[in-house]
Amino acid sequence: MISRAEVVRMAELAMLELNEVEIALYQADLNRFLQSGAELRKVNTQEVRLSSHVGRASSRMREDVIQRSLPQEKALRNGPCVVDGCFRVPRVMEDVR
Amino acid sequence: MKGLAQKLRTGQVTSVQLVQHYLDKIQADDPKVQAFLYVDWEGALAAARASDERRKLGKPLSPWDGIPIAVKDNICTVGMPTTCASRLLEDYYSPFDAAVIERIKRAGLPVLGKTNLDEFAMGSSTEYSAYHITHNPYDLSRVPGGSSGGSAAAVAAGLCPWALGSDTGGSIRQPAAFCGVVGLKPTYGRVSRWGLVALASSLDQIGPMGRTVEDVEILFSLIAGYDGRDSTSLPDAAYHCSASGPDTLAGLRLGVPEEFFGNGLCPEVAASVRRAITLMESLGAQVQPISLPHSAYAIDTYLTLVTAEASSNLARYDGVRYGKRVEADDAWDMFRKTRTKGFGPEVKRRIMLGTYVLTASHHEAYYEQARRVRSLITQDLEDAFAAVDVVVTPTTPTTAFRIGEKQDPLQMYLSDSYTATANLAGIPALTLPCGFDSRGLPIGIQLLADHFREDLLFRTGRLLERILGEVGE
Repeated sequence: MISRAEVVRMAELAMLELNEVEIALYQADLNRFLQSGAELRKVNTQEVRLSSHVGRASSRMREDVIQRSLPQEKALRNGPCVVDGCFRVPRVMEDVR
Repeated sequence: MKGLAQKLRTGQVTSVQLVQHYLDKIQADDPKVQAFLYVDWEGALAAARASDERRKLGKPLSPWDGIPIAVKDNICTVGMPTTCASRLLEDYYSPFDAAVIERIKRAGLPVLGKTNLDEFAMGSSTEYSAYHITHNPYDLSRVPGGSSGGSAAAVAAGLCPWALGSDTGGSIRQPAAFCGVVGLKPTYGRVSRWGLVALASSLDQIGPMGRTVEDVEILFSLIAGYDGRDSTSLPDAAYHCSASGPDTLAGLRLGVPEEFFGNGLCPEVAASVRRAITLMESLGAQVQPISLPHSAYAIDTYLTLVTAEASSNLARYDGVRYGKRVEADDAWDMFRKTRTKGFGPEVKRRIMLGTYVLTASHHEAYYEQARRVRSLITQDLEDAFAAVDVVVTPTTPTTAFRIGEKQDPLQMYLSDSYTATANLAGIPALTLPCGFDSRGLPIGIQLLADHFREDLLFRTGRLLERILGEVGE
């Protein structure tokens, strides 16, 4: 069973703020989801190879050729706060002085 | 679509007339259906005028130049919003066209607008759109399915001749079945995902939706092809429409997995699909029972992988580069408040689940185990395709349910029980209508084939569609 504390921890990791009602709701949902998927964990997969790719896809590198990319003005256009060609965000580093 | 192309070629109709016809239909009927999130009234007509000019000069871009299309709103389009039906992307205008949009524009198709979906394509009813619910044109009190419910409903209601959707676990096929239209989930890697807003990158594929198998095949031929900007795009991805073959399915080996006809399947759906199988047999197909023993785990495997990948993909929505931002003094506070306000409840639920299965202490038991079971499901299908050419199943366990009927998310997830298998294995899957239930709601039949065998799906689907029409379904 997933505890309330685990739900709060998941919300922290996922960068979500949950109120008490939501914590209870997602705690119940997570537990039901894990219960419903219990059979999945019983499948014997000891001999199964883990594949990183789907079907015929495989990792390929494209040629190392310079290509045109989005101009700065277009790349910044959707930014909620843009100053001097940069995305501006609130202070990330703590003031060490 | 060939009829429309012929009329455009011979000048019986112009693209402007065609686009105006669909815009009039949207104006008249979309207030009831609510399939669209955005209609490009002026842009579509401008594109139509350009198409007519090209025709006058004898230089159409393709036989389909001037035939308009609707696009699911998680596919990036320049000049119109791409919201993913999320409040977080309410004002987002993509600075580039998705690869599929570049392709349809190169073929001369005017884009009518953007269609509704469950927020970030997470859902099976289009009820999880942050903007409005889309209604099933067959019964406005019912859902159109999802997440490409807007595209399916728009095609079914005649608001567009064809549309693009995306399919991660059934999001093209389930709504197509609920709305009585045709939809294809292509082979993984055959249609570029560049410009498709990612839900689960190892499962997502863009695909065509239309009124007939032939239309869907034509649209698929326009969007399939290699694209170096998508690292999973396959070099031989292009598709050329197959010539109409013999009027028989003689020699076609058709596998029927009994696991897809068990508990949870509505008897009316089962009867309709079995009747279609009998009709295919009458066309010469050799029908044989097969087993896909791990298919019972498909939905749990799918849910584990889709939530894990979604929680990772949606980490990009932090209020820095795009989307709505909630201001705060501290950056971490800004990230949290932005995501908390911007995402709807279903998106948060999936992010929470995905975060859980990816944590170091649960990664092996949940995420890695799901990846291993995915390999077993894929192996089942490889074994099946050694014995049969096409696998046939119902597309959905039931017909369209009522709006508000499924309040339990786990029940909602079961709508994708029969469709998720194809995404996990990366194989192509086609759904087409095969009848109606006693309420007059459409029933879909799903055809699955091995990687790159869309041609087989279209050939089988065309013949099935024809014989169903002959017997009055």
